[in-house]
Amino acid sequence: MNALAALAGAASTVAACYGLGAMIAARLGARVRRDEKFPLAFVLGAAVLHLAIFAVMALHFAYRPILIALLAACVVAALVTGDWRLPAAEDAARERSLPRAIRYLFGAIAAVFTVLYLFNAWAPEISPDGSTYHLSLVALYLRAHGFKPVPTNVYSTLSGGVDILFLPAFAIGKHSAAALTHFAFLIALGLAVLSYGRRIGQPLAGAAAALLVYLSPIVGIDGTSAYNDVAVAAIVFSVFYWVQIWDSQREGRLLIAIGLLAGYCYAAKYTAFVMLIYAVGFVAWRTRRMGPALVVAAYSLVMVAPWILKDWIYVGNPVAPFANRYFQNPNIHVSFEDNWTAYLRTYGLKNLWTLPLEVTVNGETTGGLLGPIFLAAPLALLALRSRNGRRLLAPCALILATYAGNVGTRFLIPSLPFIALAMALALEPAAPLLILLVAIHAAASWPEYLQRYTQAWALQGIPYKAALRIVPEDRYLNDHDTYRWARMIEDHVPPGKRVLIRTEVATAYTSRDVLWGYEGAFNEEMQDLLDVGWDSSSQPRKLWMCSFPERRVCRLRVVQTGTTKIREEQWDVHELRFFDAGVELPRLPEWRLQAHPNPWGVQLAFDNSEATRWRSWETLHPGMNIEVDFGREQPVDQVRVELSDLDWRVRMRVEAMDANGLWKQLPAREELRPKQNEGSVRRAAAFELRAHGVDYLLLKDTDFGAKDIAENPAAWGMTRLVHESAASLYEVNP
Amino acid sequence: MTLRSGLLGALCGFLCACGNLPEPYAPPTQRPFFEAPAEAPQIINMADADAESHFVQDISAELEGNTWRWTGKRPTIRLRPGSNQKLVYSIDFTIAEQTFQQTGPVTLSLFVNDHLLDRVRYTSPGRRRVEKPVPAEWLERDQNATLAAEIDKLWMPPQRGGTPLGFILIALGLEQRGLERK
Repeated sequence: MNALAALAGAASTVAACYGLGAMIAARLGARVRRDEKFPLAFVLGAAVLHLAIFAVMALHFAYRPILIALLAACVVAALVTGDWRLPAAEDAARERSLPRAIRYLFGAIAAVFTVLYLFNAWAPEISPDGSTYHLSLVALYLRAHGFKPVPTNVYSTLSGGVDILFLPAFAIGKHSAAALTHFAFLIALGLAVLSYGRRIGQPLAGAAAALLVYLSPIVGIDGTSAYNDVAVAAIVFSVFYWVQIWDSQREGRLLIAIGLLAGYCYAAKYTAFVMLIYAVGFVAWRTRRMGPALVVAAYSLVMVAPWILKDWIYVGNPVAPFANRYFQNPNIHVSFEDNWTAYLRTYGLKNLWTLPLEVTVNGETTGGLLGPIFLAAPLALLALRSRNGRRLLAPCALILATYAGNVGTRFLIPSLPFIALAMALALEPAAPLLILLVAIHAAASWPEYLQRYTQAWALQGIPYKAALRIVPEDRYLNDHDTYRWARMIEDHVPPGKRVLIRTEVATAYTSRDVLWGYEGAFNEEMQDLLDVGWDSSSQPRKLWMCSFPERRVCRLRVVQTGTTKIREEQWDVHELRFFDAGVELPRLPEWRLQAHPNPWGVQLAFDNSEATRWRSWETLHPGMNIEVDFGREQPVDQVRVELSDLDWRVRMRVEAMDANGLWKQLPAREELRPKQNEGSVRRAAAFELRAHGVDYLLLKDTDFGAKDIAENPAAWGMTRLVHESAASLYEVNP
Repeated sequence: MTLRSGLLGALCGFLCACGNLPEPYAPPTQRPFFEAPAEAPQIINMADADAESHFVQDISAELEGNTWRWTGKRPTIRLRPGSNQKLVYSIDFTIAEQTFQQTGPVTLSLFVNDHLLDRVRYTSPGRRRVEKPVPAEWLERDQNATLAAEIDKLWMPPQRGGTPLGFILIALGLEQRGLERK
């Protein structure tokens, strides 16, 4: 039953996309060929359907019957209007077609891989990102019947134009339905590339390129998982395709489709926004007028604006999770953005010159491989000799320009159709060589052979028993630790409770509120509590004392003046205390506290807890400060700052505001002393976790701090509930 | 300033102006002070679910009879006592009849952080329990401590490749005496 539901969920979503797209294409006066209609209509329909589902989500109407009705309406309307039907086939006599032998060979290869892909997409979904944030957010929104702010999951701020299509599919057929929906984009992409070859009169190049893309190992596993990269590639290629159709037909209404799809690129993945530049630029160049280009831009905004507004309203940053320096907000730390983007630019590769080999043959570091055949990708440049080749390589260059921001292999997928087509165009005159390349690519991409030269993320075989649920879903998923940990949480944590984790858990399989330690500012702060609890270098082990002749002041601030070249170094203030004649000033309610940066965390430096600390959450730089307005004049002769042991490059000075409202440095004597913990930092950390609503903790045995807690949970004020699959679940004691 | 950069600046200014920098905060509720735990469960029963996480060396990974494990020459565990005051080294073990037949009388040396605490000679097999006060200066509060019990003679297996055996360990750890449990 689960297997059928998954198919039904995906099929109804795909049918709705196609139906809607077919109706719109017809009304825009598009004259598309029979073989083009499905891929182009499907992707265009997906763009518009995504907008409809967005509206349903924004209005909090996302109930299963409403979503099903929406899908059904699209299908029925297309059937009633007759737009569902495919146009008549082209006159075969006027077309160059593939020789029969090649057709059979390529058809057989495609069929075999389609079986591989279908069963993998159909099997229970347990891909790393699919079973974590992609589908956990889908499930969360469905439970909430609409959007809700999820500040504890930074991925909720990314545009989710493809994920939102998973919503109705998931509502009907759960996790596998989402993967199958993504698989439909893979089919559409292959067909679009194939059709484009025919459209430009080079069917062999089209067919070969379609297979080069379709068989690529990273395309195979990504396109059969609840990811979005293959869908993004299909959308990107559709923009290009519709632009070419418009250029040949010069039907003004087609600019609407181009605009919608170009905007949908942004809605599907930020990095694909360059297709908007391409579409506007191409139309402006070909018409030599701004009017048509503005039409494209205007319609693209229809797709882009909802996602910008959603982030602006929910996160306070319209382009979250980026540009947090400019759109300061309490939900995403600048340090997270810096560290994350720095990692994505290298994936830990020390030498980026190894990247070509890594993404084509090895793939273990960058999360998958394109296939060794793509080592020949530079051949694509030979296509520059032809007009068709140049037209392909222009958007390709734009898309590739964004790759430097994330060198994961799957971020090459959107450029792959262009590269493959250009390669095939260049090699078409040497047809036997091109056919041989396709055959080699097929062999090198088949799981059995693939495993002989790489352990990268790729399909492992045909899990038909799991797909058909002959092997029960739970048993199949139980082979994966991430799933078992999700079930551990589901079984032991009461509904509505929060769990902090430091490792990947298949959160799509639990309804509990799971906070992965790095996925949001709040999560990072909770994780920091743990670190302060067990890691002495994070504890308040240094006391900086700044003494000066007693003076009456209303406002004081401590300004950080040190610099560092190490990105991870921050300014950490556990406590900031003021003294007069050796007596600490009591912290009065009329005091007003500010900090720059991270003003939201300033209270952590004034809460008298050894476990909490205000952190800059930015790399140490001069000018950071914490300021106190006492509300009235107050005699003060000493400021004490409790620092983390690791704050080696922190330098500070104390400034007071004078009668003219100007900050003046106080002439002072500074002293830095070691400091010992006075109480149990572990207990204090656990207290804070609970005070912030984090009642449970799941730690893999190898996670930071796991050993310390496992050795003595009682010292933390925690109870170990269960230890399973090399991970422990703790309850933070009330 | 060009018109373009002016417009860009104005746009950024507008967008940022709609940001959400907070008003200054009042001091928060002052947090309670948490005494370091004066006593924590420090006896490691070999049957404890997390016993293995304390093992340092010479203790079998296999739990026998749901209660005990074979040791090697110097079974050692690691603990983190919440206090160094009034602690007692406690060991519950058995000298097996079968091993004793080969080894004869054995001597057990008890160590805390590699300080020799005591040395006891056993001239007959059987179950034993030893408790010895630990000098406070040998331990640091809230820091890891190792506890060991070294046997002078191992039982050697008759066949080659077998595992030499020390004694049967049931529990080992520190107890705190004379302090009220909080």
